[in-house]
Amino acid sequence: MGGRSRVAAQMLAGKGSGEVINLSGGFKAWKSDRAVGQEDQGLDLFSGNESPAEALIIAYSMEDGLREYYLTMIPWIENQDARELFEKLAAIEVKHQERILDEYRNITGIEFDREQFVEKKVVPAVEGGLTTEEYVRLYKPDLESVTEIVGLAMAIEAQALDLYRRAADRSDGNETKKVLMQIADEERAHLAQLGKLFESI
Amino acid sequence: MRWKQFFTPVKSMDAVKAKNYLAEKPSETYTILDVRQPEEYEAGHIPGAKLIPLPDLNDRMGEIDTGKPTIVY
Repeated sequence: MGGRSRVAAQMLAGKGSGEVINLSGGFKAWKSDRAVGQEDQGLDLFSGNESPAEALIIAYSMEDGLREYYLTMIPWIENQDARELFEKLAAIEVKHQERILDEYRNITGIEFDREQFVEKKVVPAVEGGLTTEEYVRLYKPDLESVTEIVGLAMAIEAQALDLYRRAADRSDGNETKKVLMQIADEERAHLAQLGKLFESI
Repeated sequence: MRWKQFFTPVKSMDAVKAKNYLAEKPSETYTILDVRQPEEYEAGHIPGAKLIPLPDLNDRMGEIDTGKPTIVY
């Protein structure tokens, strides 16, 4: 499952590392000499040049995607610790959404309630994106394997962390920067929790 | 809800190409980075791979030599 290495490669490339190459198919393919080449299919790009307001809209949709991913996976997981952590993380992503919406109001001065914001801003922004089901299908985690499900969650959280860090770096407003960094720190804590969970399974 | 895709483009190589690519280079001229968890690394990894699990990567980015190509898995 190449989700983690792909995200890692993007983080390195984003930091201006030299040439970065993602080994497609990961270690499994290395051992068996078998190529797996589906990871690049159908991806629209996050340009990295979004304004803070645009970054907040994307962040909001990403939180929704994270929450939905956790909720979608819960029925598949028999491991009690993993289920509890997923439930907890799903609830936290809702709090993140509230803070993102507050911040959007602050920096744009536009009053949106949750529904209006989703309808007018978030839905148009993610048009053409993938449904969670399609997203999961793209990465093909083995749904019998809790480590693969947790591994994909780690990839998504790392993606979120990377987005928030980059958005915070570019943000002019101190308050926005602070909020984005706080959320980034929380995503990093999630990632660490998922890492511990992975070790304990 | 639909996902926006957040991905910046990164070059991918399959295992066969990567092996050929590495075979032409002295081992000190590239980095192989393993971002899996330590127990996965222990169970088996590409010889010479450096382990930095994904959760640690943001903080340990400085350990990677940006002057060399990095192959990530």
